[in-house]
Amino acid sequence: MAEVVLRDVCKRYGNYNAVDNVNLTIRDKEFVVLVGPSGCGKSTTLRMIAGLEEISGGTIAIGDQIVNDLPPRERDIAMVFQNYALYQHMTVYDNLAFGLRNRKVPEDTIKAEIDRAVDILGLRDLLKRKPRELSGGQQQRVALGRCIVRHAKVFLFDEPLSNLDAKLRAHMRLELKRLHRRVETTAVYVTHDQVEAMTLGDRVVVMNNSRIEQVGTPWEIYAHPRTRFVASFIGSPAMNFLDGKVRRNGSGFYVQAPGGTFHVSDQGSSELAAHDGGEIIVGLRPEHISLSETRTENALHGRVELTEQLGAEQLVEVIAEGAKIMVSRVDAERELKPGTPVYLTVEPGQLRYFDRITEERLV
Amino acid sequence: MSLASSAAPLPRPTGLFDLLRPGARAAFTILAVSAVLLLFLAPIIILVVTSLRPGWGVYYIYRGTEFTLANYFEVFQRGVVIKAFVNSFVLSTVATIISLGVTVTSGYMLSRFKGWLPKTWFTSIYVFRTVPYISWVLPLYVVNQSLGLYDTFTGILAAHVAVHVCFFSWIMKGFFDGIDPSMEYAAMIDGCTRWGAFRRVALPAAGPAIAALGILSWLWTWNEFLFALILTGNRTPLLTVTMAQFVTELGTEWNLMSAMAVMAMIPAIIITLFAQKYVIQGLRI
Repeated sequence: MAEVVLRDVCKRYGNYNAVDNVNLTIRDKEFVVLVGPSGCGKSTTLRMIAGLEEISGGTIAIGDQIVNDLPPRERDIAMVFQNYALYQHMTVYDNLAFGLRNRKVPEDTIKAEIDRAVDILGLRDLLKRKPRELSGGQQQRVALGRCIVRHAKVFLFDEPLSNLDAKLRAHMRLELKRLHRRVETTAVYVTHDQVEAMTLGDRVVVMNNSRIEQVGTPWEIYAHPRTRFVASFIGSPAMNFLDGKVRRNGSGFYVQAPGGTFHVSDQGSSELAAHDGGEIIVGLRPEHISLSETRTENALHGRVELTEQLGAEQLVEVIAEGAKIMVSRVDAERELKPGTPVYLTVEPGQLRYFDRITEERLV
Repeated sequence: MSLASSAAPLPRPTGLFDLLRPGARAAFTILAVSAVLLLFLAPIIILVVTSLRPGWGVYYIYRGTEFTLANYFEVFQRGVVIKAFVNSFVLSTVATIISLGVTVTSGYMLSRFKGWLPKTWFTSIYVFRTVPYISWVLPLYVVNQSLGLYDTFTGILAAHVAVHVCFFSWIMKGFFDGIDPSMEYAAMIDGCTRWGAFRRVALPAAGPAIAALGILSWLWTWNEFLFALILTGNRTPLLTVTMAQFVTELGTEWNLMSAMAVMAMIPAIIITLFAQKYVIQGLRI
């Protein structure tokens, strides 16, 4: 059980910064998810915590100890890899026992630990099998078992679910969550899948271009994205971004966007006060837009371009003065032909405003 | 929880062969198999028959009826033949053991590490590999002469180990490339040193490949002729060279040569049959 602290951590390959000045404190027993597109530095960061990658600058501490110069085996961590990395020539039992035997744990303690782990993971019948005789989900659970038996200070997960099919992935996601609640170990989890990030993380770290964009609870990340990148990366379908102009309207403001204007909430007014007359980016989530076929005040006017029927809801793509706007949660039974004129409204409090140049959220 | 995919198997792509009628297909297969058998089996059959014929009967083996085992007895009465068998066996085995030690580690290094050392090593064995190996022999002869290693076991052994290392490090690199390195990372996190991860995880995973390579090395040395011819003399007789000595100024003793060739084939055949499984498995990684 331990805290993990990254201070000004860098990883350079020649002139290229794979990880650039990352500062992050992962609290004891916390489940933190690093998420971002491929090449954003999330896996490299994880591998530096594991000791599989040298640290070019800064320090990493696990517990009270700075581990920069410690080899992986002395860091007291356990790791699950994307392709499970089970020892192919050993049985499941030996796979689970390997780490403990290396640490000279007595055989009967090993047996007890493995007993406990197989009960948690439902591996009892598989102990004598070799990894290649197991399905992907089973291999995944053996890999998890290898972590559990070790009682390591920190669990590291490197995209552990990405080799599974969609259904199994959803199942394992829940299992992982349940497991973490049960073993209560600090966990760092890397994924490019925002759904995994949102569902698993106590806190989510969004990375992009070798840097941390934002750290926060899943709700904070979703509701209060600090940058346009975070806003676009988290949420599905992705947030719509429109170019807008800020206009004053008596004491308040409104935003002129393609196809119409938005009223701005009081909170929004304070955010926009400094940008009177300026150009900004307005972000609106597809699920916050309501779509009406009758003329509405303070709405964007557009035409239906495409609809996607999902059964429970419809996704509708609307074109408003050339700008594409995705709308979700449209009643599945509603019939919307391409070309139908529609009016889109959003609660003013749900709008997010970003600087056009820095792409940071306006506050 | 099973991952068995429910998707139907993909239809096999059809080629010209599939367009033939079944009868034509069978005829085609039989023809192809016969051609291969003729090519590979006929020489062996001729060799075995020749080895069983008396000396005067070797030129018309297809119609003689006299068969004898005398050739085998005669061959084995020559001391040099026994010595050659022993020498070749020891040489193949020792060379294989030594070279496996080097090829396995150097293949691993080439597959896993970057930097000037693997790069230089790779380039040098690449160069040696591309040079026709005949062109090593004369310089090696001179070197062995000057070091006093000519016609010694050590001299020929060193040459064979060098060839093994250059030729087989590549293959070994390929095997290790096929083994996922995250297994070794997992081992390092599980308490192994870098060397321990290699020894306890990568090495066993490469087991079939190593067995395959061992067999290939062993057979290569057992069958090798050129080095043996140039780098050894009477003091260190080797199988292939001794066999060639049945070509004399008075003619070629085909019957004796064949008898010896058949004997020489036997260990190779045994090893191949016994180890075929490993070779195929190993080369498939």
